[in-house]
Amino acid sequence: MVLKRPPEAGDVLQGTLDMLILRTLVMGPAHGHTIAQVIEHTSENALEVEQGSLYPALHRLEDRGWLASEWGVSENNRKAKYYRMTPKGRKELAAATGRWRRMTRAIDLILGAETE
Amino acid sequence: MTMRRSIERARKDEDFAEEIESHLAHEQDAQAARGVAPEEARRRARLRFGNPRTLRERVWRHSSLPWLDDGARDLRFALRSLARTPAFTVITLLVIAVGIGVNTAVFSVIDAVLLKPLTWPDPGALVQLVLNTDRGAFAGASIPEFALWSQQAGLFQQIAAYDFGAAGVNLTGGDHPEQVQAVHVTRDYFALFGAPVVAGRTFTAAEDSANGGRVVVLSYGLWKQRYGGNRGIIGTTIQLDGQPYLVVGVIGRNFVTDTPVDLWVPNQFDLNSHEMVVNYTVVARLGPGVTLAQANAQLRLVADQFRRAYGSHSLPPGGGFGVVPLQQFMVGDMRFPLLVPLGAVGFVLLIACGNVANLLLARASARRRELATRAALGAGRSQIIRQLLTESLVLALAGGLLGLFFGFFGVRLLLRINPGNIPRIRATGPSISLDPHILLFTLGVSVLTGVLFGLIPAIAASRPNLAATLNEGSSRSGTSFRQGKVRSILVISEVALALVLVIGAALLIRTFRKLGEVDPGFTTHNVLTMAMSVSGDRFQTTAPVAHLVRDGQDRLQAVPGVLAAGASNCLPLASGFGMVFDIVGRPKGNAPFTGGAGFYSISSGYFSSLGIPLVRGRVFTERDDASAPGVVVISQAMARQYWPNGDPLKERIQIGAGAGPAFAEPPRQVVGIVGDTRNRSVDRNPDPMMYIPLAQMPDGETALNAKVAPLYWIVRTRENPYAVLAPVEAALREASSDLAVAHIRSMDEVEARNIARQRFNMALLTIFGLSGLLMAAIGVYGVMSYSVQQRTQEMGVRMALGAQASNLRNMIIGQGMILALLGVAVGLAGAFWLTRFLAGFLFGVKAWDPMAFLLTPLLLCAVALLAVWIPARRATRVDPMTALRLE
Repeated sequence: MVLKRPPEAGDVLQGTLDMLILRTLVMGPAHGHTIAQVIEHTSENALEVEQGSLYPALHRLEDRGWLASEWGVSENNRKAKYYRMTPKGRKELAAATGRWRRMTRAIDLILGAETE
Repeated sequence: MTMRRSIERARKDEDFAEEIESHLAHEQDAQAARGVAPEEARRRARLRFGNPRTLRERVWRHSSLPWLDDGARDLRFALRSLARTPAFTVITLLVIAVGIGVNTAVFSVIDAVLLKPLTWPDPGALVQLVLNTDRGAFAGASIPEFALWSQQAGLFQQIAAYDFGAAGVNLTGGDHPEQVQAVHVTRDYFALFGAPVVAGRTFTAAEDSANGGRVVVLSYGLWKQRYGGNRGIIGTTIQLDGQPYLVVGVIGRNFVTDTPVDLWVPNQFDLNSHEMVVNYTVVARLGPGVTLAQANAQLRLVADQFRRAYGSHSLPPGGGFGVVPLQQFMVGDMRFPLLVPLGAVGFVLLIACGNVANLLLARASARRRELATRAALGAGRSQIIRQLLTESLVLALAGGLLGLFFGFFGVRLLLRINPGNIPRIRATGPSISLDPHILLFTLGVSVLTGVLFGLIPAIAASRPNLAATLNEGSSRSGTSFRQGKVRSILVISEVALALVLVIGAALLIRTFRKLGEVDPGFTTHNVLTMAMSVSGDRFQTTAPVAHLVRDGQDRLQAVPGVLAAGASNCLPLASGFGMVFDIVGRPKGNAPFTGGAGFYSISSGYFSSLGIPLVRGRVFTERDDASAPGVVVISQAMARQYWPNGDPLKERIQIGAGAGPAFAEPPRQVVGIVGDTRNRSVDRNPDPMMYIPLAQMPDGETALNAKVAPLYWIVRTRENPYAVLAPVEAALREASSDLAVAHIRSMDEVEARNIARQRFNMALLTIFGLSGLLMAAIGVYGVMSYSVQQRTQEMGVRMALGAQASNLRNMIIGQGMILALLGVAVGLAGAFWLTRFLAGFLFGVKAWDPMAFLLTPLLLCAVALLAVWIPARRATRVDPMTALRLE
């Protein structure tokens, strides 16, 4: 039995992390450490968090069927768990990106109006 | 499911641990690549990652069903904590189990008798035809009444008359003759009751008319047992009383009759008969849309019509016809007797609930500190409540299961002491089992009790007033005072309820003993009685019956060990007829009846076989036969009532005038007066009785008698009457040329059956009284021992200050007994008010019997004293030093 929890609409930050993870995996399968590195680097270290906190999100996404995982061997020749985006995850990424853009645009509009 | 889930979860956790290791290794590699030393690289990797354990817990929780896991944990914890206090657990379980068990058993019986609708199709439309008089409704009907009722077009869908088959018939023609129960019915009987036919058919209209031929319908039981369930039996003949009867059908197993029936034969009424003998029960199914009121209105008119047709004396003055719903009629006089156990059972349930509440409250307040500590350590309020509720639910359900067990055996116990005259409980194969609805109901009650009384302390204990509770000394009283008061009130109520129960039981026990002391007016010891069916063509006139009785009596008296033998058409305390009579020469009253009296036809040996004393005149001899002048012997009660000043021995009476042609006979001379006998039941005053010789019965009456009653043989023996059973049976078989006897009982057994109802009530209320008493004792004990335990420190201080052990003991006893005495006072008031409802069941005892009202409170106080004594002794054993150091 898999628990189906509805995506928490209000939880913006968590939703954002989910989106970032999915975005990272567009390029292809990656293991947890790589995902953390990529998010840190591409955000120019602005989004630095405890790396561990990535994993509950990964597992949650996997539970929802947006990711699939399997054990493999990493570039360092170590055992690592690789995450890969599923078609369902791809759809979710598109939806989440859309939502994000609409929101940031709205916020931009407000902020822009105020500064002018 | 849960198992697989938890295995899965453990596997996932292991997987995750490995994933974390992998992450840390990669991060370490990355750090090392930047030139950090291995030790430092590892440290930094861990730092950047965060706490792996917290993460694993988060993931773990994510993949679990929280309430299920928490529930399982609560359950484990509840079991552990209940196991830590075995005394509390066992007592609570027993209280719940006894409460539920007793309730379920009694409700199951009551439900089957009172509450369950009849098993017949559309039972609501079934009615009993009655004769309404100013003395109540009587069910008996005669053929002319039945004939007139049947003509009421539209009023009834079906109407049927039947007798109770008390006479029995002799099933002969096999290797062993057998006496079976045959009920005479009219044609519509089977359709009316919706009797299923498994083979053949029921009677046709032609077969149920006069001269309709000899046909019979078999019951399922007889068909299976005697004919092996062979369908070929249809269309063949069987021998009943030596006559061939054509078997036309077999009725299905599910057909329930009030008394066991082996076969049915058609009544074959002559509908033009003027026979006024009231021998039949008439039941009808109301026509579509006909209400009870409409039926009753029309039947009042029918009664007038009946009077016009058969004369004004054919119905008693003011009497009329009516209908009563069949179920109401059947269980009518059972309703009240069963309400007593119902009320008592409610009391037991209340006591049980009070006890459970008490125990749970005490337990919860004893654990206030434990709960506060847990709250301080981070347990949420809902978690604590849930935890306590889990415990009470575990208790309630386990107690309920145990109660189911008790109930299962309780039903069997109840059926064993069943008086045998509760309708719809059959002696063989009880049709009553544990009712699942009732079980659910009582289980629901117990769970509700558990939840309700578990919830109150749980909520109270979960209040976030941690500091106060944790800092409270063990001797504090302020905060728990309210709960203490609640518990005291509970205990007082329990004692009061128990007292009412025990007083009720005491009254019934005394009633039963008084009944046993009543002299019925005849010997019951070493007397054997048997019933012989004298139906059939051989016994349609008086002469052959008289011959059989004379021959049989002679043979019986010749059996070694037999002191006296006799025969009659009724058996005291088992059956009886009544008859009207006129005293010759006296002016008649407003009816043809000058009086009514019990009416027995007896053999010459009857009085000596039952040891009924002759007071004046003479008893019958063999010379009082058909050729001799008619004679009658009366009882003292009859002499007193109808000859308050005169001498009955100088007068003649005319028996049965107006009762129909079968009873036509010349007047009889009163020749003797015998002692009074309590023929109907031992708790009723002796009825006026008249006895006539069997040999002097009119032929028509003998023929009628044979249809409705067997011939009873009575044998008084020197020793155990069953020791001579074999030669007695043999003698009767010879005398009757091979007729069997049935219903073989000693007179002691007949008497026991007669007061079985009282014994049943007594046994029930005794059970309830004892369980109530026990539970009240548990309640007192629980409260006092809890109070002693709570006040250990106080005791220590008192002892340290010089209090004697006896002072402490007396203090505790005093406090406990105040509760008990308050309960007794309340209970006495309640009992004074409630026992009046028992008055109808009492005999020789007043509802406010001083013995019961003095001894019972004493008994209760003694039990309470014992319950208080144990904790009081414990208080005196408190070691001051230990007690003071306790906190």
